[in-house]
Amino acid sequence: MQSTATISQMAEEARNATAHHVHEARDARELTGSQILCEALIREGVDLMYGYPGGAIMPFYDALTSYPALHHVLVRHEQAAAHAADGYARATGKVGVCVATSGPGATNLVTGLATAFMDSTPIIAITGQVARPFIGRDAFQETDILGVTQPITKHNFLVKRIEDLAEIIHEAFRLARGGRPGPVLIDVPKDVQNAKTLYSASAPISSIEHYRVTRVPHPSATAIEKAAHLIGEARQPLIMCGHGVILSNAYAELQAFAGKTRIPVITTLLGLSAFPETHPLAIGMPGMHGPAHVNRAIGQADLIIGVGLRFDDRVTGKVSEFAPHARFIHIDIDASEMHKVKRAAVPIVADAKAALTALLDAVATGNHDQWLNEIRSWEAQATERGASIERNLECPDPICILEAIRAETGGDAIIVTDVGQHQMWTARHYTWTRPNSHITSGGLGTMGFALPAAMGVKMGLPDATVWVVAGDGGIQMNIQELATLKQQGITVKVAIMNNGFLGMVRQWQHFFHNHNYSETPITGPDYVKLADAYGLTGMQITRRADVQAAVRKAMQTGGTVIIDFVIESEANVYPMVAPGSAITNMIEETAWESED
Amino acid sequence: MSDHSDNRKAAPSITERAGQVAAPKGTERSHILLILANNAPGMVDRVVGVLRRRRAQPQTISIGQSEIPDVSRITIQMNDSEVGVEQLIEQLRKIVDVRHIVNLSAEQAVARELALVKVNAAAESRAEIIEIGNLFGAHIIDLAQETVTLEVTGSEEKIEKLVALLQRFGVREIARTGSVAMTRDL
Ligand SMILES: Cc1ncc(C[n+]2csc(CCOP(=O)(O)OP(=O)(O)O)c2C)c(N)n1
Repeated sequence: MQSTATISQMAEEARNATAHHVHEARDARELTGSQILCEALIREGVDLMYGYPGGAIMPFYDALTSYPALHHVLVRHEQAAAHAADGYARATGKVGVCVATSGPGATNLVTGLATAFMDSTPIIAITGQVARPFIGRDAFQETDILGVTQPITKHNFLVKRIEDLAEIIHEAFRLARGGRPGPVLIDVPKDVQNAKTLYSASAPISSIEHYRVTRVPHPSATAIEKAAHLIGEARQPLIMCGHGVILSNAYAELQAFAGKTRIPVITTLLGLSAFPETHPLAIGMPGMHGPAHVNRAIGQADLIIGVGLRFDDRVTGKVSEFAPHARFIHIDIDASEMHKVKRAAVPIVADAKAALTALLDAVATGNHDQWLNEIRSWEAQATERGASIERNLECPDPICILEAIRAETGGDAIIVTDVGQHQMWTARHYTWTRPNSHITSGGLGTMGFALPAAMGVKMGLPDATVWVVAGDGGIQMNIQELATLKQQGITVKVAIMNNGFLGMVRQWQHFFHNHNYSETPITGPDYVKLADAYGLTGMQITRRADVQAAVRKAMQTGGTVIIDFVIESEANVYPMVAPGSAITNMIEETAWESED
Repeated sequence: MSDHSDNRKAAPSITERAGQVAAPKGTERSHILLILANNAPGMVDRVVGVLRRRRAQPQTISIGQSEIPDVSRITIQMNDSEVGVEQLIEQLRKIVDVRHIVNLSAEQAVARELALVKVNAAAESRAEIIEIGNLFGAHIIDLAQETVTLEVTGSEEKIEKLVALLQRFGVREIARTGSVAMTRDL
């Protein structure tokens, strides 16, 4: 067998065994399961949760009123609770919490859990379950939520004994946060919520001892040495960074490493804002909607240093033609990502921050200006070509909306996007400088994510300005959360890029289904009236000249504001790589197309 | 394994699985995975779920108690490439209940399977069946008017050979456990 294929990380983990603190259980009191839930959540540092009550979770809601330290946000649909917890987690790095009742409440969380699972964000879902004697009898609102969520959670628990409850909660938090983060679900039968046992707030928190919760797995010295050697040899190297850089808070390390080696930096969709786009080494986003020069650079690179990314198919296109001349150094905290898509010459199973720190020490100062200049010249060609295309200057266009938002917020806003064309336009044309300012559902591509996630972002970072950028399709998927925003007095600014279509699907129909616009034209409400109905502020903008003033007015107006930007109906996202083709094989914009 | 590469509609070959991008065709060989996992509710589900989701094609899976209380031992036999198996192991390792995994090649393992075989046994063929059974170290565990039931332990090949020899009498039923295995000590 080839030694590079061995990706076991046991040795690293042994060094990272979780330390236990020993306390005396002198403060033991008899509490109900519901009270223990509240106590344990507080002990984990939770002060905010999103949820919706129902039969099987009522004892918990009953206890909740005695714990003012726990702020509960009543959403209007459990899916939104999961997305809000997710947005909170992405923005703060802390664990987000959502709560639902059994059966339909729990199943409504599923999309949110799957979204968090794909993008590795730590959330805890607490679900009520029917009482133990009813489990397995098809009781009213009984769903096997453990079975349902098994493939989309890191782990899930059914609490069978009140005595295990506190420990399970702490274990769940550790699992959600540890290693590659992810969602964990705790299913609590109603009678367990009501049962009583002794609880001590200072009892030691034990853990499932064998589970290798490695918060900071360090890279092996040999791997770092090998990587440094490859970096020293490379003539056309690229750094590709993903969500892992953000999750491990490795912004400074990434900049130092790129700065020392002078290697151009690519950021994936979930890596956007991990590296400032104003940096001279930042070249952009790869893949299906990446600019041509980035994909071309990947096509010619001789070394790819992947940091905290998983080489998703939207990034690689046809795998066999992805970076065909490159060797790969792959840094990821999850050993199972090694060799999954591309065979790594040097697999480094480690936390991104730790690996970049070690690499920074090991590499020599480099210079790849010639390579960078070549990439820049390709970029300039594309810019020139773009400028020669005649455009409709009347209606608000996505780029000018994004520029206005950036200008009016000084680049300090957190932008939460939904899924579709507007998501790609925002990814491409907003200039990302504030670390972790771009929040989107990348892996699952969940429409309806943005509005509830933004609620979580804003509550996690109350001082930040939070903008939602959504399509007219996706915004209607969780539009009910406007009521939650109003009830909670939460301020987010919402820009709808309204093209009257499920734009991204229409674009695929345009290119790959003969313009057969099957079920993609979509109408929506009058957003000005809708905002008014919810007690919020709405505007509609139909002329480009009014875009900036509208954004400014939204910033000056208190509370949540919705701007309905009526954009060109059939604009496409360019360039585009057809699914399954090589990323160097791009469909480029040729002429203004909205008149056909 | 049969090669369907000329037929595009054929079921995806295991060489197209994740983790196998760099594995040339025909590099699959027999692997035995030994898994020690906490006997927690749903554990088996989780293990089998990973195999299914990652499109692994185990030939046999057997589950039983290990030497540690509340810890089960799962033996999985499969054909796969080295990278494919390593990938799968890392996925399995992420299951919280999984404590330890060993990947054994056929040469590194001592593997045995148990089979019960019920054969038609008319009076005149009975002696011959018993004699064949003896050659394989099989025990007669049931004798009825029309049938003989043999119990045999051994390698997969041995069991297959015995079954093949019994075919002409008419095999009514076969129950096989799938392999259990241990590392061969040096
Ligand atoms: C929940 C969900 N359903 C369906 C899809 C498939 N899908 C991807 S993009 C898209 C169109 C989105 O339209 P809109 O929200 O108007 O945004 P636009 O593309 O026009 O910017 C659809 C339907 C999805 N990603 N998520």
